[in-house]
Amino acid sequence: MNLNSYTEIVKLNKVRQEKIYSALLDKNTSIHSDDPLDNEMILNMGPQHPATHGVLRVLLRLDGETIIKCVPELGYLHRGYEKLAENVTFHEFIPHTDRLDYLAPLSNNVAIAMAFENVLGVEIPERATWVRMLVSELARISSHLMAMGATCMDVGALTLLLWAFIEREKLYDIFELVCGARFTTSYARIGGVANDIDSGTLAKIKDWANQFPKELEYFEKLVHRNRIFIDRMAGVGKLTPQQAISLGLTGPVLRGSGIPNDLRKDMPYMFYDKVDFNVITFDEGDSWARYMVRVNEMKESLKIIHQVLDMMQSGPTMANNARKVLPKKAEVYTKMEELISDFMLINYGAQPAIGETYTAIESPKGELGFFIVSDGSGNPWKLKIRSACSSNLQSLPLMSKGAMLSDVVAIIGSIDPIMGEADK
Amino acid sequence: MSSENKEKQSERLSFWEKLYLPEIARGLGITFKQMFKPSFTRQYPEERWEPTGSYRGRPVLVMEESGERCVACGLCSRVCPALAIEVQAAETEKEKERYPIKFEINMIRCIYCAYCEEVCPEEAIVMSKDYDIIFTDPQEAVLGKEKLLVPIEKLQDRLEFLRQYK
Repeated sequence: MNLNSYTEIVKLNKVRQEKIYSALLDKNTSIHSDDPLDNEMILNMGPQHPATHGVLRVLLRLDGETIIKCVPELGYLHRGYEKLAENVTFHEFIPHTDRLDYLAPLSNNVAIAMAFENVLGVEIPERATWVRMLVSELARISSHLMAMGATCMDVGALTLLLWAFIEREKLYDIFELVCGARFTTSYARIGGVANDIDSGTLAKIKDWANQFPKELEYFEKLVHRNRIFIDRMAGVGKLTPQQAISLGLTGPVLRGSGIPNDLRKDMPYMFYDKVDFNVITFDEGDSWARYMVRVNEMKESLKIIHQVLDMMQSGPTMANNARKVLPKKAEVYTKMEELISDFMLINYGAQPAIGETYTAIESPKGELGFFIVSDGSGNPWKLKIRSACSSNLQSLPLMSKGAMLSDVVAIIGSIDPIMGEADK
Repeated sequence: MSSENKEKQSERLSFWEKLYLPEIARGLGITFKQMFKPSFTRQYPEERWEPTGSYRGRPVLVMEESGERCVACGLCSRVCPALAIEVQAAETEKEKERYPIKFEINMIRCIYCAYCEEVCPEEAIVMSKDYDIIFTDPQEAVLGKEKLLVPIEKLQDRLEFLRQYK
């Protein structure tokens, strides 16, 4: 079954055509061939396919309904953010990260702000860290809710998608109160967060976190014991722990194969070492396991949110560092020094030391890292985005080999790729 | 390999769940219950939604009794990640000496990030509550000073929010 050489393909086509011609001449409607290669077919899935979660194109070589080979083609949503970053200051790049993983923009904001702080050597106040933890866990829940709903929709349970959207809508209302936008949040800043969260919003988050477990249970009741759902998900897209590690996968896809890898535990950033939560792993390594990892991770995130809300103290949310962090608005209006640093920071950017840094966080999709080379000027000399989705998508050919055509949909759903992040 | 796992999964299902028919009835029951829950959808054009002070809507220029606050320093235009703002300065006899003779925001380019508001040293450009912004042609989307200037009374919510939390 090797169709690599051009002459082989030409030969095969000729054989196939001759058979069709002879069948037409004989007026015989059934064409029978002994060679299984005759039945191979190339199928284009996407980039407009609704189950590919965006603009992913998957090329499939089929034998009947079984997949012989699968080639994902990325790049339909490539916007050149890595190059773009070289021409804007650190501060100006933050809104661009909203458009990477657009289902969890708050996580990306936090990641890029942490990366820039690492470059610039800025310490952030305690409350800012708590606020960042809070919003990135909320973003994780909203992203996993979407993944849960979309996976269920792909295998036929449309109801769950609509119900998950209701919860996500409530979360987006909270995001709007926190940072003024539902989708393009741009919330984190170098040295802290854009604005403080008021007590009313914190109370709203608490209310939401209290009612959410009940809703989640309701969701689980609908599909988790459903035979069709289990049959579609279980045993599909198997991935052994060795394969998952050698492909460089991270996040729920890796944890679904039984490897307890979570940057929040392995390399605690922010205050994740001060809160108590578990790393969810499932040993099966199939679509069902990856789906279950996400569902259970939402409960762990809720645990973190409750702890953060209890531990949060009032205090400043922006660092006081005149040469690197934007000054407070009230001081810009009244003081000359702050006014000058406001102008200098915006026009020339904060000046870092020369060197290379890599900062990564555990985003909802996996490890989201930024490798930054700085030459001492106000904009990065090179910014490399290590996106979880593009790495995770590389497992698609391996997982879908030998699966059925309809399983590809479940497999893509369980990887949960966001093309904005995969294509950068 | 995969069939093995499938069996393992279906073993976990009880007899009634395997039959599937009772599951259909239960699933329909859950969906049926949903019918009597209050609807979550907002009937948008009839039921308008009122944003709070934290909302970042269309950026506008603050107008006081004596005219606009803007001194045309051009910082908003420099920081704008989408390059949507164009400012042209001119001199005036008034106390603040400078004012924008031309101030344009291209609303097709604007990404509502509120950076202009964040860096403004005069509290002259702030985000309003307008969210349904419609244009019929691209030229119309370039808002000039006459459309951008909004009296300060209408922007109190946002100004209050900025003073307290920013």
